[in-house]
Amino acid sequence: MIRIAAVGDVHIDRDVLGRFRPALEELPGQADVLLLAGDLTRHGTEAEAKCVATEFGGLGVPVIAVLGNHDHHCDEVPGVLAALTDAGITVLEGDSTVVDIDGVRLGVAGVKGFGGGFAGRCASEFGEPEMKAFVRTTGVVAERLGSALRDLDCDVRVALTHYAPVPDTLAGEPLEIYPFLGSYLLGQAIDSAPTALAVHGHAHHGSERGRTPGGVRVRNVAHPVIKQAYSVFNLAPEHVSPPTPSGI
Amino acid sequence: MNDYTEAEVQRALAEDLGVAEQGITVVRSETGLVLCGEVESPHRKDEIVRLVGERFPGVTFAVDIGVTRAGAPTEAEELA
Repeated sequence: MIRIAAVGDVHIDRDVLGRFRPALEELPGQADVLLLAGDLTRHGTEAEAKCVATEFGGLGVPVIAVLGNHDHHCDEVPGVLAALTDAGITVLEGDSTVVDIDGVRLGVAGVKGFGGGFAGRCASEFGEPEMKAFVRTTGVVAERLGSALRDLDCDVRVALTHYAPVPDTLAGEPLEIYPFLGSYLLGQAIDSAPTALAVHGHAHHGSERGRTPGGVRVRNVAHPVIKQAYSVFNLAPEHVSPPTPSGI
Repeated sequence: MNDYTEAEVQRALAEDLGVAEQGITVVRSETGLVLCGEVESPHRKDEIVRLVGERFPGVTFAVDIGVTRAGAPTEAEELA
């Protein structure tokens, strides 16, 4: 069994330092890896990222993250990345990493993702340049996620995003903002590989559980949704040898 | 107070770098605005109250904002 801890939208700054740490000290007894689903900082400064590094570094288990929209706000992404990686946190954006857990290879592919909406109510790459750029951005990152998942050489795959891949886990959010919370293209990318679990954040008023059209379990781990320092998902042995992908 | 005020408050909460909160719901009631949601620290709740009070001095508002719990989970979800 693989035990995966996950949380997103922790929005760390100096005023939050130490709030998560007592629970995180218990994490190695509960989980084999920690996934951080973006919006790690308040508005994306290097100083805030150093607070994230202090709070989530040196846990004794691998920590794997993607950034969120807040982590981009102050245009300090290189400094944010440096602070996180210096603390031993692996940050994914269109790539993947493999962690050996007692001989089982856990592969995690991650992207921040982007918006666009969901089947039947989604934006199209049509019209003004700004609109086409918006939709094209999501298409590009979704393709990178799908490629990273399919290329993984591992025993069990997990997809990590900030934006939501399905509308199920947005239940509770206003319908009007769904196109800004995620895209079906991320779900399609996740379904293109034998993915065991997809984890995302971003939707503070959403709900915890959903599934992609292909049946992959999706979990919204935004901190205001889970209302605890992290959630833990135990992947049973059958997920460790998933079936051959059907492809898209 | 009207729709425009409601929208301006919502944007101010997100765009002011001292607050940067996108997860606060602004609801109009008969007596004014109600601010609902969760933040990561008591300080951030205080900053929201300060911002709205300073930026919108004529607006009456109530605050129903909590601090998200950050305890360790008591159980795991089994994904069979």
